[in-house]
Amino acid sequence: MSKLFFDHLVSLEDIEKEIKKVATSKEEKEELWGLVDEIMHHKVMGCILDKLPRDNHEEFLEMFHKHPHDETLIDYLQEKIGENIEELIKGEIGNLAFEILNEIKIKAEKE
Amino acid sequence: MGGKLPTQTYHDIAPQKANFEYLRNKLKLKQLEAKKSFAEKFPHVEKFLKEKGIDLSKLREHSAKIIGAGAIAGTLLLTPPSGAKSLPAASEVLEKIKAQKAEAPDVPQKLLVDTLTQALPAYPRPLTKPEEKNLEQVFQNVIEIPAKASLEGEHLNTTYGYIGAEQHLMRYPGDTMATHPKIPAGDEGMAPGRGAWGYFASTKSGLTPQLIETEKWYAVVQTLYLPDWVRRQPYLRDWYKYRKVLIVNTKNGNAVVAAIADSGPAAWTGKQFGGSPEVMEYLGGARYKKGAVVVFFVDDPENKVPLGPVEYNKVNVPLVALRNI
Repeated sequence: MSKLFFDHLVSLEDIEKEIKKVATSKEEKEELWGLVDEIMHHKVMGCILDKLPRDNHEEFLEMFHKHPHDETLIDYLQEKIGENIEELIKGEIGNLAFEILNEIKIKAEKE
Repeated sequence: MGGKLPTQTYHDIAPQKANFEYLRNKLKLKQLEAKKSFAEKFPHVEKFLKEKGIDLSKLREHSAKIIGAGAIAGTLLLTPPSGAKSLPAASEVLEKIKAQKAEAPDVPQKLLVDTLTQALPAYPRPLTKPEEKNLEQVFQNVIEIPAKASLEGEHLNTTYGYIGAEQHLMRYPGDTMATHPKIPAGDEGMAPGRGAWGYFASTKSGLTPQLIETEKWYAVVQTLYLPDWVRRQPYLRDWYKYRKVLIVNTKNGNAVVAAIADSGPAAWTGKQFGGSPEVMEYLGGARYKKGAVVVFFVDDPENKVPLGPVEYNKVNVPLVALRNI
């Protein structure tokens, strides 16, 4: 299986609906899913590393490299960052969803 | 032949293609921006990841490799689940079911819901092997369907997750909702694209009653995220095509046998499975769009288990509605 430690914090159902509207084949659908996935990984990791003290970056990356699926990484981040990291990640994902849906809305309004 | 001729559908297809290209371009642009911004902000992380051979764009592949290697080595790499319960052995579960069946033979649904409530963690997550073995016993003895978490060496990414509502699939070229069966209320229409295995039949006349049932009772599973999906082609594609699965709503015990006919949903939807409008309607009623389910393969080498509702629960249970959750 393929799982990342922050998967349970992500729910981009509105974007999935938009993709389903425009993709006509499995290949098209999976290509768009993959792009959203890549954007999300960069945004989430950026959000985490922004908040995590620089001294802990290597330690976190080592842990992530060995167990990318391990949800206890959230506990580690929580401890080191001292903020609610789950809410921060959810906020980052929410902003991403807003940006993508806004692009779609702009196109729809032009038509 | 029903539906529009290809010459008549041309004008419908073109705008959809343009929309796909537009969305793809926008996403591609965002992906490049995100990648560039990350590299500029965290050059030391880029260097570290490069040394480790990890590409942030391919994190799922990395995760699949790690988990796959752990599965081969037989080690439990998944986090010991938070809120995990101490589960009884399969034999104990079986004894308990037998005793409860003898006490109250008319309420198998309550028995199933009670057992699932006791045996499953509060929130969906991949189950351990002993947990899955217990559930196999439960399903065999209460629902009376031979279902297995692993069948012929194959195992889904997870067997306990969230299912989401899908649309009807196009069964043959030109299939439309004008002739496609619908659910009585809240029908969400037909998906514009084909399922992962293409059309069910190449023409309307080729659509057999069996294929009609297959589309009606179809399930979606995340084959695309299987660690060996690409490596073991075409075997896996054929193995999963129309493979029967037992889907059990863990909140109300409603159960359906469905055929896998599409791949998904995307990992970032928070869902792990999908169900046709008919599957979802039976699992939880007209307004049921997402919910926790257990999905096991049906062990049916002689193709005797029919697709559709498993009506082991004909007797309604007070406080646990037979259909709606």
